[in-house]
Amino acid sequence: MSTWLSEAALEEIARERRKYPPEQARSALLAALRIAQEEHGYLPEALIEHVADLLGVPAIQAFEVATFYTMYDLQPVGKHQFCVCGSVSCFLNGSDAILAHLQQRLGIGIGETTADGLFTIKEVECLGACKDAPMMQLGDRYIENLTPEKIDALIAQLRQEVQR
Amino acid sequence: MPRLEIDGQEIEVPAGTTLMEAAQQLGIYIPFFCYHPKLSVAANCRMCLVDVEKQAKPLPACATPASDGMKVATRSRRAKMAQQGVLEFLLINHPLDCPICDQGGECPLQDVTMGYANPHSLYTEEKRVVEDKDIGPLIATEMTRCIQCTRCVRFGTEIGGISELGATGRGEKMTIGTYVAKAVRSELSGNMIDLCPVGALTSKPFRYKARSWELKHSSSLCPHCSTGCNTDVQSLGKEVLRVKPRSNEAVNEEWLCDKGRFAYTGLQAADRLQQPMLRVNGKLQPASWAEALDLASSALQQVIGKHGPDAVSGIISPSASNEELYLFQALLRSLGVRAIDHRLRQTDFRADPAMPLYPALNMSLEQLESEAFVLLCHAYPREQQPLTNHRLRKAARAGAQIWAIDGAKREFNYPLRQICAPAGADLALYRGLVAILRDGEQTQDVELRALATALQQASKPLFMLGNGLLQHPQAAELLAAIASLVALVDGRISWLAEAANSAGAWLLGCVASRKIGGALVIDAPDLWSGKKAFVLYGVEPEADAMDALRARAALDAADCVISIASFLGEAEEYADIVLPLASWAESSGSFFNNEGRLQEYRAAVRPAGESRPGWKILRVLADHLEVPGLDFDDLQAVQAAWQGALGEFPLDVPGLGTFPELQPSRMVAEAGYRLLGDWGIYRQDPLVRRAPPLAEEAQARVHPDTLAELGITGSTLEVLGGNGARVQLPVLVDAGIPRAALWVNFGHPETQALGGVGRVVHLQQPSLRARA
Repeated sequence: MSTWLSEAALEEIARERRKYPPEQARSALLAALRIAQEEHGYLPEALIEHVADLLGVPAIQAFEVATFYTMYDLQPVGKHQFCVCGSVSCFLNGSDAILAHLQQRLGIGIGETTADGLFTIKEVECLGACKDAPMMQLGDRYIENLTPEKIDALIAQLRQEVQR
Repeated sequence: MPRLEIDGQEIEVPAGTTLMEAAQQLGIYIPFFCYHPKLSVAANCRMCLVDVEKQAKPLPACATPASDGMKVATRSRRAKMAQQGVLEFLLINHPLDCPICDQGGECPLQDVTMGYANPHSLYTEEKRVVEDKDIGPLIATEMTRCIQCTRCVRFGTEIGGISELGATGRGEKMTIGTYVAKAVRSELSGNMIDLCPVGALTSKPFRYKARSWELKHSSSLCPHCSTGCNTDVQSLGKEVLRVKPRSNEAVNEEWLCDKGRFAYTGLQAADRLQQPMLRVNGKLQPASWAEALDLASSALQQVIGKHGPDAVSGIISPSASNEELYLFQALLRSLGVRAIDHRLRQTDFRADPAMPLYPALNMSLEQLESEAFVLLCHAYPREQQPLTNHRLRKAARAGAQIWAIDGAKREFNYPLRQICAPAGADLALYRGLVAILRDGEQTQDVELRALATALQQASKPLFMLGNGLLQHPQAAELLAAIASLVALVDGRISWLAEAANSAGAWLLGCVASRKIGGALVIDAPDLWSGKKAFVLYGVEPEADAMDALRARAALDAADCVISIASFLGEAEEYADIVLPLASWAESSGSFFNNEGRLQEYRAAVRPAGESRPGWKILRVLADHLEVPGLDFDDLQAVQAAWQGALGEFPLDVPGLGTFPELQPSRMVAEAGYRLLGDWGIYRQDPLVRRAPPLAEEAQARVHPDTLAELGITGSTLEVLGGNGARVQLPVLVDAGIPRAALWVNFGHPETQALGGVGRVVHLQQPSLRARA
């Protein structure tokens, strides 16, 4: 039995696998990696290999997918991830300044996590909300029309939630 | 059939044809990098963007199917803008290091940039740098030059069977490599050098040696296996600097394996023979051709006069050309010599009367791709014939059912089912199969039962017979069992011939039991016992004979050993007369490949030192020995002579003949470990053994249980041969090796000392004395 994933996760991956024809195992990689990440928090090398094994595809194919999409975390991440879009629209509307502000406020660099394990900053590719650029994703939410003030308020609010 | 227009020219193409293919049919060139006719379409370099009427954006010609009424422009303003834009982006991160890049002069990126780029770039920022990768001792990497066309990745998965290479990361951070630092090993890896459209992957042995335009090209053949790949030998002055494949769809397509590509590096070996030598006072001394030829002929005459012609043995390499093979046997047979052969790795010749005219594939290489059921019998084409293996791989990918029976499990690069005999019980396995199929015998062996059922269900299954059969001490009985099997299931036989011109050696009478054209010789004398003189031609019995010890003892005991060879090797110790032979790259000739296809090759460079092409040496030797009828003036005359003597012959020689009464033989049965093994891909002939980039160590493989049972903890194993040999070998644990067996790669002095397949050896932890 898998030491990495629960019975439920394995069943979910198997269900995803069944959606595709027998010779198209590669197609199920996106979903399988997402399920693995939800269960384990992030995707260490060995877990990616394990997912590839489950689907019967060469490990490198799983790595190609995992390293391509910014939604997959290859390192442990904080409780809250600030996924700031750095693509064209957001860039033109000052995403660099937003990223710089975040880094300065949290004292960490892009791709790093605060010592208390609360926050991680990530720069991601276009999330399809260009009309309200600059924007970022936080958990399941989009936070749009970002300003330094909005970010400060958000950080304070999240810290408060934890203390409660 | 869609009709379309490209640059104003109309063409009608079959449905599914891409714009790229349609343009090529019209002779219109569309620049590209990632497109390759032998690989899947990736459409990721975008260089082939063309302007299609009524389309909002330019489309990639390699991935756009032609449709009716399309109007395509490849040189319109919009197409040109697209081409310039793509090139500008490709060049953003490409270093301007053409002056020190080996690809310079034969670089698609250079050429396409010259032809299509806007000379001005808007990019002023930093360029990226990418870490180099280790993909073996043959390929130099400079990954900063990579333009991410992914040809190498697609080659790996689709052709080479390498599933470790991929493209990781995204956008500017995308790199080609493996996900963990890991060397990529494939016998076809060198093709990635040819495929790479930039200087990211270049040939390590060729690095900084020459510019492509300085090289002289000679059309040649690969002398290293029976597939008969067409090659282009490229040289500068007297030196061969590289070997590349020449495209021939029917044979090697456009590929070449690493053995064929890099073995030329052995031509410069330290023991390359440059002048004739004679043994004077126990030591080989340089001599003139006249002296050496005089002595060689008088020595031969003397032995024949005193002991008769059966005291002479002639052994020729199966990599010799047809012309050499013909002259060699014609010369010796005129002297009455009958012990003439090329089969050093075979020890059991009892099946000779049943053997076909020559070891034929019995089909074309292309036909092999459409086989539906193949049973590999002691055959490992991946190392024997890498590009024949590629055809089989294509068959497997198309859904063919492939099975293999062997003494040990091997590392195939396509899915198949392998059945491995218990140590030394190969014959029992084939006979078991016969018993199931003929007598309906029950067996506990699930795999064997499954194979029997599969064979029964298959329509005319193909049995591919490999070297492992002929090298086995019970070769005759194995072949007889296979003959019964084939008859039981209405199968067909296909032989994987051992060397570049094994087919020619059979056809032209370099087999003790066959004269030219296959005429049977009854009671042919043994090659080794009681011989007073040996004529060796291009062979190294010490490295190529299955029973190297017996061969060496016979050579040492002989009155006279004449070695006509390109390399000295151990002949330094046993030869009395050494005649320097021009290598394949230095002489012309022809080979029959595994299909029976006659192909010719041309000399690329002048013979090294005083060495001479083989046909000239043999012709002059014939003169000295006063053998009439061999005084040919040129190679064409030799060719005409053997063609006349051989006559027409059938390309397909199906089946095995009638076997003689075979006395049951037994494998040596004593306590110990059964010796198994094969000549690895880079140990198969004198030239490839001397190629530094292809060097590999002698190695022992054993089952994990064997190691545990012996209590061996280190990485070295001591092997005691029954003949007093004691060698130490690095040991590798391999669950594919049967228990109670030791698998070694032959062709190394250490492994050659063990006496050959089927012997019983003893294993132990290396003794301290030996270790010190």
